[in-house]
Amino acid sequence: MSSTISAQTSPSAKVAENGRTPRAGKRDVWLVFWIVPAFYTAFGLIFFALARVMPPPRPDVTTDQMVHFFHAHALTIKIGFGILVLIVGGAGIANGIVAFHMKRMTVGSVMAYAYLGAMSVGALPGCLLVAFCFLTAVYRPGRDPQLLALLYDLGLLSYVGSLGCFSTAYFAFAVAILYDKNEIFPKWLAYVSIWQIVTEIMAVPVFVSKAGPFAWNGSIAFWMGVVVFGFWLSCVIVFLMKATELQPVDEPPLE
Amino acid sequence: MQILAEAEDLPKTANIKTQLISLWTAPVFGVVLLIAFLAFPGFFPPMSPDMTAEQVARFYSDHTAMIRFSMITFNLCGVMLLPFFMVIVIQMKRMATQSHIFAYCYLTAAVSGATLFALADIFYLTAAFRPDRSPELVMLLNDMAWMIFIAPVGAFVAMNLLLGLAVFFDDGPNPVFPRWVGYYAIGTALAMAPAAGAAVFATGPLAWNGVVSFWLRNGAFALFVVVMFVVLRNVLHRQAVEEGVAR
Repeated sequence: MSSTISAQTSPSAKVAENGRTPRAGKRDVWLVFWIVPAFYTAFGLIFFALARVMPPPRPDVTTDQMVHFFHAHALTIKIGFGILVLIVGGAGIANGIVAFHMKRMTVGSVMAYAYLGAMSVGALPGCLLVAFCFLTAVYRPGRDPQLLALLYDLGLLSYVGSLGCFSTAYFAFAVAILYDKNEIFPKWLAYVSIWQIVTEIMAVPVFVSKAGPFAWNGSIAFWMGVVVFGFWLSCVIVFLMKATELQPVDEPPLE
Repeated sequence: MQILAEAEDLPKTANIKTQLISLWTAPVFGVVLLIAFLAFPGFFPPMSPDMTAEQVARFYSDHTAMIRFSMITFNLCGVMLLPFFMVIVIQMKRMATQSHIFAYCYLTAAVSGATLFALADIFYLTAAFRPDRSPELVMLLNDMAWMIFIAPVGAFVAMNLLLGLAVFFDDGPNPVFPRWVGYYAIGTALAMAPAAGAAVFATGPLAWNGVVSFWLRNGAFALFVVVMFVVLRNVLHRQAVEEGVAR
């Protein structure tokens, strides 16, 4: 029939050969793989230690306190987000290698493309916009406090509150894992991904609540999401490593 | 579609099933998005660019709850239409008499379109987060939201032109889509294109609340999803039968 189908039958045929092929993986895939933990380590350092977005500053503060936040952290925001705008391509690489291994599954490409697309959507509102808002805020510290407050709200709401893009990606990831017969990722990782969707839904109240567990710095809306995301990401990195390791060196390139 | 028992576990069957799941996200989330659309207090009629800053600020403080309900729903469910457009990508990649170039370009254009939608949504929600901030700033956020929501139709125009071209290039004996889908896609592109005028016009049919920029643009998009759902359902059924997956 179509070329799509013939390409998909070959990886499944490879499953049987796994025992015989050397457990080395492909060099180019390994190279890309190691960028993923390196990028997310840098990402964590930037958001936690430098830009002070995590844990997020409080939503229930006065305009003056927001101005003070930007003044107090201007230097580290500049360093952190200055580095982020340089290395943010790492997010694309991280999404790329996941999509690559998803395309090696026996489920067609539609979920891989949905994952790739939805994660790419998340790059602007879910990651970069807060950097632009904060960088713009500290660029001219003498700006009208009301304007700084707007950048504060816009940055943090976009960062904590971009929910649908990631939910779509987790949905696609989970469906692909559940249907896959090549066992690229373990089935339970699909359920962790579904739990990720739950945490996105639990973050809905950040647009309403200004204090307490459902505010953008709250225990449920924020911390639960961070913990589950941290767990999910660690699992994804470990199993990306496994998938890379188990990929036969002679597996033909993907279509 | 009835999946054959003997084909149940085959990769080609999973390929059909994952496409079916992606396809059905469209009606499921389409209904949710329709509710969000009907719930937004500023769509019936669409908010005028003529409103003063005080009027805009009052709109956000008077209707805060419904604005939040509507825009949070759009936030959560808007991008859930993306898998549906990825089914179109997969079907474009099945076209036998062409390279996959149109399909990949369609994919990236769809991502751009969805990104802009997600971005506009955050501006509405930020305006509604503290409606008591200076009216000038609420209006600034509202203007940004409407500008980003309505004007940048380039991604949708590109998608539909690419789909149209792909259908016309798919001129072998067994085309994926019926030929009228090509004309329909081009027609949708033409119907959405004038909304770019919302970037400059503040009154008339091309303003963001105008008949052309708001109703024709959004109507054409919604109709496209409905029509393509039916088309893709048939296409998928045919693919499944041809590949011996279903009858």
